[in-house]
Amino acid sequence: MVEKKGFPMPLEVEFPKELEGWEEMYPPYYIFSKERKEWEEKHFWFHDKIHAPEVMYPLDLIFQEAWQIALSQYTTRVFCIPPAQGIAQRMVGCYMYITPVAPPPPEIIGEKAALFQKRVFYVFDHYDALWGLWLKKFRALGEEMANILVPTEFPKFEEDDKVFPEPRGFYTSYELIEGWDRLVNLMIKGWQFHFQYLNLAYLAYLLFADTCRKLFPGIGESTIGKLVAGAYVQMFRPEEELGRLAKIAAAIPELSKLLKSDLSVSEKIEKLRQSAEGRDWLVEYEKSKDPWFYVSCGSGWYHYEGSWISKPEIPFGYLKSYIERIEKGEKIERDLPNIDKERAELAEQYRKLIKTDEDKKSFDDTYKAVRTIYKYAEDHLFWVEHWLHTIWFEKVRQFGNVLVKYGILKEPDDIYLFNRFEVPYLMEDLATTWALGEGVPSGGQYWQAKAEKRKKILEAAKKWTPVPALGTPPEEVAEPFTIMLWGITTEKVKEWLKGVAVVPTEVTELKGFASSAGVAEGKVRVVKRLEEITEVQQGEILVCPTTNPAWAPVFTKMKASITDIGGLTSHAAIVCREYGVPSVTGTGIATSVLKTGDTVHVDGNTGIVKILKRA
Amino acid sequence: MPYTLWFDRAGKEALALVGGKNASLGELIRAGIPVPPGFSVTTDAYLDFFSGTLKEHVEEILKKIDPQDIAALEEASRKIKEMMMETPFSKKLEEEISSNYQALSSVFDMQDLPVAVRSSATAEDLPGASFAGQQDTFLWIQGIDEVLLKIKECMASLFTPRAIAYRMKMGFPHEKVHISVGVQKIVDARAAGVMFTINPINGDPSKVVIEGNWGLGETVVAGLCNPDKFVVDKVTMILEKEISIKETECVFDSRKKEVVHRDVSPDRREIQCIEDDEALELARYAKKIEDYYGCPQDTEWSIDRHKPFPFNIFLVQSRPETVWSQKKKEPILGKKSAYELLMEKAMSKVKINM
Repeated sequence: MVEKKGFPMPLEVEFPKELEGWEEMYPPYYIFSKERKEWEEKHFWFHDKIHAPEVMYPLDLIFQEAWQIALSQYTTRVFCIPPAQGIAQRMVGCYMYITPVAPPPPEIIGEKAALFQKRVFYVFDHYDALWGLWLKKFRALGEEMANILVPTEFPKFEEDDKVFPEPRGFYTSYELIEGWDRLVNLMIKGWQFHFQYLNLAYLAYLLFADTCRKLFPGIGESTIGKLVAGAYVQMFRPEEELGRLAKIAAAIPELSKLLKSDLSVSEKIEKLRQSAEGRDWLVEYEKSKDPWFYVSCGSGWYHYEGSWISKPEIPFGYLKSYIERIEKGEKIERDLPNIDKERAELAEQYRKLIKTDEDKKSFDDTYKAVRTIYKYAEDHLFWVEHWLHTIWFEKVRQFGNVLVKYGILKEPDDIYLFNRFEVPYLMEDLATTWALGEGVPSGGQYWQAKAEKRKKILEAAKKWTPVPALGTPPEEVAEPFTIMLWGITTEKVKEWLKGVAVVPTEVTELKGFASSAGVAEGKVRVVKRLEEITEVQQGEILVCPTTNPAWAPVFTKMKASITDIGGLTSHAAIVCREYGVPSVTGTGIATSVLKTGDTVHVDGNTGIVKILKRA
Repeated sequence: MPYTLWFDRAGKEALALVGGKNASLGELIRAGIPVPPGFSVTTDAYLDFFSGTLKEHVEEILKKIDPQDIAALEEASRKIKEMMMETPFSKKLEEEISSNYQALSSVFDMQDLPVAVRSSATAEDLPGASFAGQQDTFLWIQGIDEVLLKIKECMASLFTPRAIAYRMKMGFPHEKVHISVGVQKIVDARAAGVMFTINPINGDPSKVVIEGNWGLGETVVAGLCNPDKFVVDKVTMILEKEISIKETECVFDSRKKEVVHRDVSPDRREIQCIEDDEALELARYAKKIEDYYGCPQDTEWSIDRHKPFPFNIFLVQSRPETVWSQKKKEPILGKKSAYELLMEKAMSKVKINM
């Protein structure tokens, strides 16, 4: 292969024939266009492997659409991070690409600086109280979403109670249309809340990391992460709740035996209901379940991942193994006070090395700032990507069911083959057909044919490997998410550039972020699709585009992890540090270079992965 | 008026008696650092030796010379050395040194323990009066006769032409400069080198930097090789290393009875000269030393080839690190509040250099 000088321009990308028609699945402004060519070519577009590692089902794009607006507006119009602008998205053959928008003109930077001071300092000063308000507001939003009424039945005739004493004036047709609209609006709004403090949390992290690097030029990236990471992270609650339930059950032989048995979840619940202890345990189970089991089996970004709510066999499976471990005398819970104490001691030891009192104060102040607000970055994840998304997926399934029931779609999940602007067509088609009376055909055949075609396109796209990046690399980046979450640096861009012309079999070494200290050697398991996660075997090294804390039980199995994308506070980095598993994140090309069965040496202290033996 | 003092008995309070180098060994021992055992021949011993007729003769020679006349200076130095070497130690001094050397040998079940004999001057710390490098070090000395001879040679090193000229130029009276000599068990070094308790490149106070090579430490100290480099974080104890290709090492040739430079055997060239565990143990000592002294240190270490880990690690020298320690202690972050720093951060950008 010939070494290329740069990345291809967006309009130069060629697609396999099987992908023909992919563009129509997404909103038109998501497609690279001749009209915006000049602006688009000036920017640097990279495949977002954090939020969109896989092919994008049109309806799953809603989360991306929502964050593009929300993340960007906080930076540009609300908290006004002076030199930064938003992050723009495009779809390229069913994969999502993003770019940090070039900085604004100097006069705008000045105006923003004044607003930033006023607004951001206020948030830092009042964060503890603000977090309480946020959570209340967010939970109310989620509950409102959960309470949306989805009509399951289009009645032959509306019931009397909707006519007497006063005819209600709106009926099932409208309930369907309004229910869907509210659902969509609440999701968009939830994502506006998602970024309420996230930009600031990341900024505080970058500030503290900077302070550390100035005081200790050689400080490890993983060490900074360790200093910041909290022990009491809500994303770990689902697992802690399972531990709590497992402990209760392990103390009662009858319950332990039942929960360890091979019966199905519904059989287990049926049997639990038959004894007093069982019923008591179910009460505890219900307490944990809402909200803590509203957790995705994957990242929360894809409908097909499922959740502990839609797949209760997953938490019940974990319960079984937890009970077994408790009975073997193993400790299953993380020692939170101790984790917290270790972090405080680590900070104190570095602090002691600082020579002047002024620098000690700067260290203390920036540490306090990040410790205050960074919790947001850790905690919002559970509430938005897991809790709210799980509620969303449950609701969408109900809408899917009703569309199937009345012949608009073949399968409930086929609703995900239509984007959020198209789904109202389906709803209205159903509502109209019902309203028109008997013997009226719906557009069902048309929608079903479209769904079939789109399924084929998406299948073809899964087999296609998108280029890592497009367009022109920037000279500098100010956008905090781009720096932190996607870990963009000169090295990264160069690595991606190599990825354009790379021959996977010739690569012998990968470089990424040293995200979690430690060294490991072993065979890799490449997990490109989230559903393959269950294939990870004891002692393997996980290689994936990016990971998520809900994969927790897998982390106890694996020796190390390597990701394509992700900085030091990416999900993978946090969990790996928590579990003491060596981790190298943000290698750019791990999943395309490594194959399951290859033997590698992972150095989580230096960020280097050496390929020792090809499978 | 002790003529000899075991290292562990004399720290910085005994500087005038044992000289800077020996006193620092005493301090290291007090800090709980393993140091090869040995003793100082004190400045009192020197004064006992450099007295009477010897002193008178030497002073007479020195009085006459013109520091500009290099030939005369060299002649004087040669003559003084000759006179010193011919003058015997007093019975008492000789007996005390012999008895210490025997005691040291018997600790290691040996007749004639190989030792290093080094001068340790008292004027070393005077500002501008650096005598470093003007005194002698003799390695691998065995047998009391040789030991006595080298001690005397160390003492005579006060009167090299350069030392004489330097003192005269600085108006520093010759009789005010005294010398002590250290007699120390030699470490048969598998590897040796230097260690800083701070990163000397960027001043990072959270790092220990170790450089080492096979054999004796000379090759590293004198910059005669590309050493292996180990950087250890003082808090997390995470170790990073750069292993060099090591061509030459410095070892004691037992047939020739001298220290020689030789090629490193091919099988060892590309492998690290100390194990990770050894580097970590050294770093632990670095932390201890710095805590003890209260400021960054520049040290020398050796790994004994015969002893098992961790008993094979020895520190042989420690002195204050000069570059970063002498910088004025200005706050690195410039006395800024968290908000000022935040504003600064918010305005900053990450450069991408393609």
